[in-house]
Amino acid sequence: MTQEGELTILNGINMDVKQGDSIAILGPSGSGKSTLLGLLAALDTPTSGEILLDGQALSGLNEEQKAALRKQKVSFIFQSFMLVDTLTALENVMLPAELAGVVNAREKAENMLERVGLSHRLTHLPKQLSGGEQQRVAIARAFICEPKVLFADEPTGNLDSANGDKIADMLFALNQESDTTLVLVTHDLELAKRCKRQLVMENGHLSEPAVSEEQNVSEEAC
Amino acid sequence: MELQLAWRLFKRELMQGQLLLIVLAITLAVLSVSGLARVSERLQVAINGEAANFIAADRIIDSPAPLDEQVLILAESLDIKHVTNMKFNSMVYSGDNFQLVTIKAVGDGYPLRGEIELSSGITQALPLTGEAWYENRLGGLLGYPTTLELGNTELNLSAEISRLPDAGFNPFASSPVLLMRLDDVDATGIIQPGSRVSYVYQFAGEAAALTEFETQAKPLLNNSQRWTDVQSGDSPIASAVKRAERFLLLASLLGIALACAAIGIAAQRYCQRHYDVVAMLKTFGASSKQIRTLFGIHLMLVTVLGIVLGLIGGLLLDIGINQFLPAEIAAYSPPYSRPLLLGVSTGLISAFMFSAYPLMRLLAIPPLRVLQRQLEGLQFGMWLHLLLSLGAMALLGYLYSRSIALTMTVVLAVLLLGVLLSILGFAMIRLGHSVGMKTTNPFQLALAGLRRRARQNAVQLVGFSSALVLLLTILALRQDLLNEWQKQLPEDAPNYFLVNIAPEDTKPLDDFLDSNKIIATDIYPVIRGRLTHINDEELISRREEKDGAEGRVGISRELNLTYRETLPPNNEITQGTFNQADDEVSVEAEVAERLGLSLNDTMTFNIDNQSVSVKVTSFRQVQWETLQPNFFMIFKPKALEPFSYTSMASFHLNDQDLKQAGSDLTANGVVLQLIQQFPTISVIDVGAMVGQLRQIIEQVSLSLSLVLALVLLASALVLIAQTEAGMATRQRELAVLRTFGASGWLLRSATGLEFALLGAIAGILAVIVAEFALYMLKTQVFELVVYMHWPWWGIAPLAGAAVVAFLGMWRCRQLLNQSCSELLKAG
Repeated sequence: MTQEGELTILNGINMDVKQGDSIAILGPSGSGKSTLLGLLAALDTPTSGEILLDGQALSGLNEEQKAALRKQKVSFIFQSFMLVDTLTALENVMLPAELAGVVNAREKAENMLERVGLSHRLTHLPKQLSGGEQQRVAIARAFICEPKVLFADEPTGNLDSANGDKIADMLFALNQESDTTLVLVTHDLELAKRCKRQLVMENGHLSEPAVSEEQNVSEEAC
Repeated sequence: MELQLAWRLFKRELMQGQLLLIVLAITLAVLSVSGLARVSERLQVAINGEAANFIAADRIIDSPAPLDEQVLILAESLDIKHVTNMKFNSMVYSGDNFQLVTIKAVGDGYPLRGEIELSSGITQALPLTGEAWYENRLGGLLGYPTTLELGNTELNLSAEISRLPDAGFNPFASSPVLLMRLDDVDATGIIQPGSRVSYVYQFAGEAAALTEFETQAKPLLNNSQRWTDVQSGDSPIASAVKRAERFLLLASLLGIALACAAIGIAAQRYCQRHYDVVAMLKTFGASSKQIRTLFGIHLMLVTVLGIVLGLIGGLLLDIGINQFLPAEIAAYSPPYSRPLLLGVSTGLISAFMFSAYPLMRLLAIPPLRVLQRQLEGLQFGMWLHLLLSLGAMALLGYLYSRSIALTMTVVLAVLLLGVLLSILGFAMIRLGHSVGMKTTNPFQLALAGLRRRARQNAVQLVGFSSALVLLLTILALRQDLLNEWQKQLPEDAPNYFLVNIAPEDTKPLDDFLDSNKIIATDIYPVIRGRLTHINDEELISRREEKDGAEGRVGISRELNLTYRETLPPNNEITQGTFNQADDEVSVEAEVAERLGLSLNDTMTFNIDNQSVSVKVTSFRQVQWETLQPNFFMIFKPKALEPFSYTSMASFHLNDQDLKQAGSDLTANGVVLQLIQQFPTISVIDVGAMVGQLRQIIEQVSLSLSLVLALVLLASALVLIAQTEAGMATRQRELAVLRTFGASGWLLRSATGLEFALLGAIAGILAVIVAEFALYMLKTQVFELVVYMHWPWWGIAPLAGAAVVAFLGMWRCRQLLNQSCSELLKAG
């Protein structure tokens, strides 16, 4: 509800995502992409409809159960990295593993950071890293618990094209290695094209057209 | 896991300085409480100890008959030392000379506090059996005999007393004192059934035992028995000690309230900074319990660090202060248990109760914030925050002061202050509404900034102003109290009193003083008279009233009356006027109230068997604590001139002044000459007492300065915390303005001006509220003269502007120097 009355953000969405699939959700700003992502990732609750995550219906779950589900099956990458700025790169990567009670969290984190090419930056704080490096830390953090589904919200949105490409390479490589399902929200057509499926969100409706080079997706100005 | 994570987060944040403010705020609260508790306890003991020297004991029971044994047994059971003395008047004879003296017959152990000063030096001994010590006046009056007859016995005069610790201050004490042993009284045969004797029981012991003793012993006393302690009002320092105690307590409570406010603001900032962390942790699946535990432990670590630092700080404060205290006070070490307990509970209560609300909001942050950054979760009612904060303040106040009334007063005052400042602050910021939103002129940009953040600024304003109000209040009170004491005991306060000056001695005495370059402060004629009637109604005595007589109760002793053309200094007329007619009298206000007098009443006195009637034309307030001759009744000369009188005078004399005046004599030498030349004049040396009083006042002043320093620190912390609180939004705005091409100079000037304006408004508000608070405190609590602090009206806004602008600019300096992209990234 808003002051102006009822506002429908998403309407008539019906979609399936298969295990190991990678899908990109494209669409202009305010079209409801992030809302959909929040719903799929069990961060938000729909007013009506049903979402099943790895066969489990989300509608019957309370916040605690949703958190437990996320801990077991889901991970995230954000546009603004969302690293804890007072913790080192290593400690940031360790966080989800520690929350999940993984015993050898440190070793795993070191290993993940090595895989994203940051073994020399373990003790650096986020502010001592470049944007690209910070997102690599975030990728390492996302994969440390070997999630079934990875949700990425504009993972390259804050990076220049060279760094964006590197991050995308890394993301898709790790995705393939770990057989993770990837749900990606982006403006970047190039990035979207690397996914197996592309969905377009417009005015709260989702469609799956064939993506062409010419398709115009408005960029959000800084 | 949570412990490990909490520890890691704590360690990192601490190293990066992010916890500085909240740790500092907790440290300051704990330091103030633990340090002040110990220092004030030490000073309290010192002050009471000094004061006890004035009554030669900690507590006294005065009784017209021997005291119930039960009371003495009670004292012994509480490990309280006691000594029994008798006081009565009697005539002593030496050859053909005789003199009325006050006999002080004392038991072993007298004096329990203080020392007896003999002309040969200080002693703790007592006269031997068959001996007596005499006050120096008596020697002069009787021609320095070696023995005296008292009743059936003859006593050897073995020493001359310069001062007894419980001599009190009464230049009118008509009869000199003779000190003897209590055991010798029986042999004199003077005390018969019905004799007027005062039994004086003196007690001394530990503070806690004395309190217990007071609680249990007081109900055992009857109406004729009088309980006295150092604050009972008789001692000249009683009011100074009482005021200082009230001030210390009040200032400490306000200091704690300020430190709490700093904790509150810092806690809010602490929680806000963790919003994203909580959202992120929840997104990655952390359960509510995990997050609660994590931040519970994290806050506990912060609190423990604050408490430990605070306790260390308190200890250092205590050690530091000790360096300035006289050795005998420094040697007294009160137990550490109370300051320790107070410090720890203050840390825990303030940290957790002030953080409770921000923490609840933090824990309620929804995970969706990772995608929608503006989300802040549940909005709990502000009343809950207010309730918890006031509750914490009340709990702490009570723990510290152990007085519900005082605690409630402070809490209500703080609440009122907050409400008042919020309304005023919001209204003042809204006043800037008419100014346009141009971004070319730094002043307009600053005004626009103030208005845009009206709500946030109103909150900041409350913080700034409260800190300034409390600071100004404490500053003014401290200054007034110090001035008051200074006035009471100026450098040239008289240290010698001359009484019994015969009219024919007045001129030669004047010459003697002149030749020794001594300036006598005042000469007062003293005439003794008894008040007999008010408006032709005969007055009855208290004893007659007890026996069933009806009527107005008068004053059952002779009064010392004086006359003057104008009222002496330190006498403030509260009602009426003086110097209108020849047959008028000015009456001291308290006596007037006791006698039920009104202006224009007629009072009749019996002087030398003649009736003198005068009209009451004024009431006066007299500062009894000043070492000045004070009178209940002051007449106009015409009314009393026909009667015989003696005079009294006082002067200040010390060796240094004499040397400067070119005299070879010492003060003692001059006084000796004076006594030899005028044997009938009694010289009373109050120098020792003045010195003692000064020492007490210096100690009290020290404690006041200490509290002021702590309040200053707490205020500064509130200011810093408050500046810190608005940084996040400011950063975003700077980024936007910078992006749109605002120059560095414009942004710096606008930011500086905005803070300066905020500081200036806070300064004005603070002066208004502080003047009001001071009016209330001075009239209701401290009995001080009320006046406006005009210079503050200029200084406070200016200082407020300067300090807040400095703090704001200092805090913003990095933001102001950052490039657009850095700002946007950080925002």
